[in-house]
Amino acid sequence: MSAVSTAPGPIASEDRQAEQKWRRRSLVALAILLPLTLAETSYDSLREWLHGEDLIARDVDFGQSVPFGGSDWKLADLRGGKAGRLPDHAFAVIATFSVKIGDPDLQKQWLGCKLMLTDAAGRRWLPDVIAGVSLPAGVTNCTSAIFSGVKKGDTVTIGDIFIVPEDAVKTIRPAVGLGSERPWYLRFQRPPK
Amino acid sequence: MFRTARSKVQTWITAGAGTIAALFVAGLMGAFGALPAHAPPQLPLDTAIDAGRWRVQPVRAYVSHAKVYGVLMKPGQKALVLEADMTNRTAQSDKAYFDVFKPDGLALPDPMPMIALTRDETLTPELHPGMTERMAYVWPLAGDAIVPASLSFGVTAEIFKPRDNLYGMPGWFNPYRLGTITLPVADVPGTGS
Amino acid sequence: MRIRILGNLVILGATVVLSYGMQVSKPHYADLTAPIPADGAMHDTIRARSFDVRLDKVVFARALKANQFGRQKLLTTSGLWAVVTTSLTATAASTTVADGTWQGPTGLRYHQTERLGYRQDMPPHGVDPGLEKRGLFVFEIPPDQIRGASLLIAARQFGPLDAQARISLDGVPTSADGRPPDVLPEYDLDAPPPQGKS
Repeated sequence: MSAVSTAPGPIASEDRQAEQKWRRRSLVALAILLPLTLAETSYDSLREWLHGEDLIARDVDFGQSVPFGGSDWKLADLRGGKAGRLPDHAFAVIATFSVKIGDPDLQKQWLGCKLMLTDAAGRRWLPDVIAGVSLPAGVTNCTSAIFSGVKKGDTVTIGDIFIVPEDAVKTIRPAVGLGSERPWYLRFQRPPK
Repeated sequence: MFRTARSKVQTWITAGAGTIAALFVAGLMGAFGALPAHAPPQLPLDTAIDAGRWRVQPVRAYVSHAKVYGVLMKPGQKALVLEADMTNRTAQSDKAYFDVFKPDGLALPDPMPMIALTRDETLTPELHPGMTERMAYVWPLAGDAIVPASLSFGVTAEIFKPRDNLYGMPGWFNPYRLGTITLPVADVPGTGS
Repeated sequence: MRIRILGNLVILGATVVLSYGMQVSKPHYADLTAPIPADGAMHDTIRARSFDVRLDKVVFARALKANQFGRQKLLTTSGLWAVVTTSLTATAASTTVADGTWQGPTGLRYHQTERLGYRQDMPPHGVDPGLEKRGLFVFEIPPDQIRGASLLIAARQFGPLDAQARISLDGVPTSADGRPPDVLPEYDLDAPPPQGKS
């Protein structure tokens, strides 16, 4: 092969400058493309994770009714005490919500319905079964309500029973998470004593 | 370069030497059906057989017309039962014993056996390392199926690879037919379990 | 000129050593994705990611008595039954603790028994924050796997990079031949023997 001579001259230095310009542009493009690639490949996992976790709270004042998952939710009652067979230093708490049904397709809107109690430290309690204690008449838990065939305009009382340690009872607040609204969830203020 | 036909042939042979050598060695090692197929050996019945994950010792085989070790059968069915003492040779609790025995020459409605611990009729429990248990393999058969007085069962084993090809993790792979065992098959009448 | 060749050789040698060293010391894929252990001893509270666990008692028996579907069942084994009592608490949110494994001194892993079916005090244990729950883990083990064993407790069986509590069972008394000195002939899961020694 015969070599191409690189004699220094005005034309050659222009080539070098053009090459340097393109190298700089490629470097800048890399700095843009790499994060974009990471974002694109992880987009599906990120979306799935966000839709599976209750992350962002929407606070609701007591007495306020808020649209959530196609229906209007309001905290009806939060009361606690000793009932049934409880472990030491624990209270039974019942939280009930008054819900006015807007979109009756509950199987889609309320899929993955979760009633929780959260305290000031961010701990969360899910409903428990207490031997000898059942929900009062007229109150259903969320999963039963999905299949109960309610119609638009009906008002349903949804509630559940929790076991909470003594030191958390003063600061617990009820919260509701629905599959159709994740990562947002509703957090209600306690009723005034 | 390619001046004469002889030199052309020389070039071809030089270029193809590696390929020819590879094909020759592969043929010697058994590709292209070059090696004679060995019949799997008859395995002895009086000693324990090391079959991959399991050390097995067959005990007896019979045909049962009634419920056997808690396995229910559809009406009009009978069951081929093989009892064997099995020991887990691996380093953790395992339940991959479904393919160890396969009856030869029988038309089975469902090739997957029901496997019960003879000790207390638990279905498909995990077997723990080094602990020998008597297991009953139950194959349901049509009520009028003909079972010979002496039946061969194929024993399948796997090889242990400390690092597999995909994740580099230890595991048991490549099931192969270790041999056959031949047992006399008694016929247990319908009374009793 | 010679210095340049020498310099190149030194750099080449250093690269070879570095690359080979990195290849040889790279952890195995199974170790890279293994659960992260949280070590502790008996009676210590061990903090795993989603739960806290404290091992209270280990009892050995030759047979177990349990109530299954309304019938009393006596479960026998070719080795020994080990009934481990733990206290479980969740850390941040209500969760379940489902997996218990008995790891022998040589690394053999005995998974919790499936022969007991569903019982309220058997895994998966539902735990809540701030509330201690008594959870049992039952294993079938050969008697020679007791001395130097450890208990592995995790939230689920296959949890890559999740926490796994590893409790060493040095506090379990064993006699000279490795067998525990007091093996009960029978242990009733529904009426456990009164709290005596642990």
